[in-house]
Amino acid sequence: MLLNFNSLGIWKWALLTITVLTAAFLLMPILFIAALSFGSSQWLIFPPPSWTLKWYGALLSDPRWLEAAWTSFRIALIVTFFSVLIGLVASFGLVRGRFMGRSTLRALFMTPMILPVVVLAVALYAFFLRIGLNGTTTGFVIAHLIVALPFSILALTGALEGFDKSIEDAAVLCGASPLRAKLQITLPCISHGLFSAAIFSFLTSWDEVVLAIFMASPTLQTLPVKIWATLRQDLTPVIAAASTLLIIVTVLLMLIAAAVKKGLKA
Amino acid sequence: MTPFLQITGIAKQYGPVMAVKDVNLTVDHGEFMTFLGPSGSGKSTTLYILAGFEQPTRGDILLNGKTILDTPSHKRNIGMVFQRYTLFPHLSVGENIAFPLKVRGWSKAAITERVRQMLSLVRLEGFEDRKPVAMSGGQQQRVALARALAYDPPVLLMDEPLSALDKKLREEIQHEIRRIHQQTEVTILYVTHDQEEALRLSDRIAVFSKGVIDQIGTGQQLYNDPSTRFVAEFIGDSNFIDTDVVSVNGRFARLALANGAVIDGVPTHGTDFRQGRASLLLRPERIDLRLGKSEGVLPGAVREITFLGNHVQVSVDTQLAAPVDVRLPFGHAALGGLAPGLDVSLDFKIAETHAFQLEDRVPAS
Amino acid sequence: MAMVSLAKPDNEKRNARRRPVLSRDFVSILPALLLVLVFFVAPVLALLSRSVTEPVFGLQNYIALLGSSTYLKIFFNTFFVSVLVTVISLVIGFPVAWTLAIMPQRWAMVVFAIVLLSMWTNLLARTYAWMVLLQRTGVINKTLMGMGVIDQPLTMVNNLIGVTIGMTYIMLPFIVIPLYGVIRKIDPAILQAAALCGATRFQSLRLVLLPLAAPGMIAGALMVFVMSLGYFVTPSLLGGTANMMLAELIAQFVQSLVNWGMGGAAALVLLVVTLSLYALQLRLFGLAGGERT
Ligand SMILES: Nc1ncnc2c1ncn2[C@@H]1O[C@H](COP(=O)(O)OP(=O)(O)OP(=O)(O)O)[C@@H](O)[C@H]1O
Ligand SMILES: [Mg+2]
Repeated sequence: MLLNFNSLGIWKWALLTITVLTAAFLLMPILFIAALSFGSSQWLIFPPPSWTLKWYGALLSDPRWLEAAWTSFRIALIVTFFSVLIGLVASFGLVRGRFMGRSTLRALFMTPMILPVVVLAVALYAFFLRIGLNGTTTGFVIAHLIVALPFSILALTGALEGFDKSIEDAAVLCGASPLRAKLQITLPCISHGLFSAAIFSFLTSWDEVVLAIFMASPTLQTLPVKIWATLRQDLTPVIAAASTLLIIVTVLLMLIAAAVKKGLKA
Repeated sequence: MTPFLQITGIAKQYGPVMAVKDVNLTVDHGEFMTFLGPSGSGKSTTLYILAGFEQPTRGDILLNGKTILDTPSHKRNIGMVFQRYTLFPHLSVGENIAFPLKVRGWSKAAITERVRQMLSLVRLEGFEDRKPVAMSGGQQQRVALARALAYDPPVLLMDEPLSALDKKLREEIQHEIRRIHQQTEVTILYVTHDQEEALRLSDRIAVFSKGVIDQIGTGQQLYNDPSTRFVAEFIGDSNFIDTDVVSVNGRFARLALANGAVIDGVPTHGTDFRQGRASLLLRPERIDLRLGKSEGVLPGAVREITFLGNHVQVSVDTQLAAPVDVRLPFGHAALGGLAPGLDVSLDFKIAETHAFQLEDRVPAS
Repeated sequence: MAMVSLAKPDNEKRNARRRPVLSRDFVSILPALLLVLVFFVAPVLALLSRSVTEPVFGLQNYIALLGSSTYLKIFFNTFFVSVLVTVISLVIGFPVAWTLAIMPQRWAMVVFAIVLLSMWTNLLARTYAWMVLLQRTGVINKTLMGMGVIDQPLTMVNNLIGVTIGMTYIMLPFIVIPLYGVIRKIDPAILQAAALCGATRFQSLRLVLLPLAAPGMIAGALMVFVMSLGYFVTPSLLGGTANMMLAELIAQFVQSLVNWGMGGAAALVLLVVTLSLYALQLRLFGLAGGERT
């Protein structure tokens, strides 16, 4: 009866305790940062002696932070576009193709996801140094595209596998060209897959640190690089403010994703 | 006169698998032709080749004398209803039916009018704004039918469109399809592996087996005059009795049964019997059963009586290897005194029997 | 008849022409394939090749890497922390996933949202939080001292304790989420059957539930272990320079020492371990979301 919550007896309380403690463990640092970002203490004393918005003021009035945020956003958008586009086209081939070595190709496309990103970062760093892409937006986009693409392909092959190709065939027999059938019928049917691919790609690029550290130049850095560089100097509460804003972005994206998922089910 | 639709020597190979070996078929304008056959016999593949989703390895398809193989699917102007539900889930019923018309650039007014007509054709007036998810399987297939007929295709393909529905609903929609066929005079190629459905709907039936068509004909022809053992087995019920061939005289044979009886004049369709053995087909409902021992061809004893609604199945032990099934209409004179163990004798008209090779016909390739 | 035999070759030619040389499906994969080959496979192979060509052709870099106690200690640290993180994540993750799978839906959603939130929160933000929480004057030390548990502040950053805590925090969701899926799929009737057979709760756990959940645990553990081996950010921020892990070593070789040969050699070691474990995982469980044919 271990899978029936109410017949677990004392075990139920043991399990609940562990779960509640773990949830607290997972939640605590996030709440903690949010609280500190409003605290007045430069030395991050907790609980803060008084509350203030000055760290947000410092953050939002510093053009270097704003520029880093804009760079991050711009790069993440471009990465999202290409990741979804290339991933979509490739997924059609992977799911519907009958050529040999399809599963090998799939495994190859997934490797950037499991390969230690530091190895890719160092390798791309060397390559980009040679061809002059270091410290350029293109360099950033390519690097992030490599790690975002697996997520996109995973989401889109999943969606396409769940889509009955007969529906597209029916559209073609109705007289729609294969391209038109894909655009007007298939894409709306796999919109949840497109949406997850986009969200995952965006967040992958937006949050990415290691590649960004290697791709960055003094004139071009993303938000995570800026945080990283600041962190290595001191633990200023400005970072708490920046982190809080990042968390809010994440929560918003999660809520949108949940809403879309719900909307699709209804 | 050129035939309306002509399929000549079509073959399709998937790697090592010959899905279709050699299909030849001529369909008349307005005909309801059914492909009947077991799973994997190449029915769907033939249909997909007609639709243009697959290219044949060999052969040609002519519509009004002209090949359609060079025309891509979306320009073939063929209608199709699939086995699975293929309504566009993000579009309403009306938009689904309007889709092929929009693609063809019809005016808004013409589309509205046509959608209304089609909905009334499939008796779904008022469902225009429904989303497919909010409809039953039977309704969805009717909308799919309306969508496929909206642009007046010369040929309508249907690949087991009712196989996902329960029996009662299936019969109801079979009726609808029959009515719509008569109303629109569209030529229909219909795939099923349900013989009852095939018999109920079709003008003619093509029986598929292992990538070729074994026989084409009306249901009656297939039942009365099966050209292969496979067709005999597939259409109607059958007893097969192993016999020795005594002699062959033209298209008729003289056969010896295991109990010593010899029958003459069994139709053979010119079959070339190997090793002097033949398989004799007896339809259970064409066998007459009389009480008591007599000098009929097949004396025996009742083994089992099964009541099956409007008829009764009697299994009779004879001196042959396997029991012979006899089907008697409910109310048959012999039924009154029938009980297991009783002596009976079986009789049949030799002209209604057939002799086939022992084994299934060896494929032509 | 004559017409048929005349028509046939023509027909065959047409049938042959209709088969494209390169299937369109394959062409659609090309952009992704090119991207991955040019900007992933090629650069990584180039990096690895430098390990045997710089400064001269030979294995000198590997000899240096595996012959020095400094580097061996880094290998050991990496391995040790990864094992520790994996084990702790499993020990905590299993009961949590179990509870999530059976607790009332509404509460499970809340816990699940917390797990997802922590997983999706920016990595640097999370690491920053732990740097602040664990520092000598941080909340944890203060609380423990206030409660009288300790009278000297514990050193929990710039050492492996900090790294282990920070990494466990990051890896926990990667165990909980897949394991939750596995336990959800187990039919409760199986455990009822076990109970009816007379198994005590503990026996049911040991003999039925754990073995049934084992594939999920192994898959999750492999994933967490592999990710930990190559982790860069958290170890560098929480571990400090004295307690380096392998990923930092690679970065250091390249960035500070500009020694591409050694960097390539260390990368190869990491890659070989990672890819073998990945291969093992594929062998055991197939590709995630793999083919259904
Ligand atoms: N795309 C494909 N690749 C490989 N083999 C195929 C493919 N499509 C069909 N086949 C094979 O071709 C043979 C005929 O298949 P087909 O779908 O035409 O049969 P069917 O008569 O429609 O059967 P069913 O009643 O099950 O639908 C089968 O053995 C099938 O496995
Ligand atoms: Mg079929």
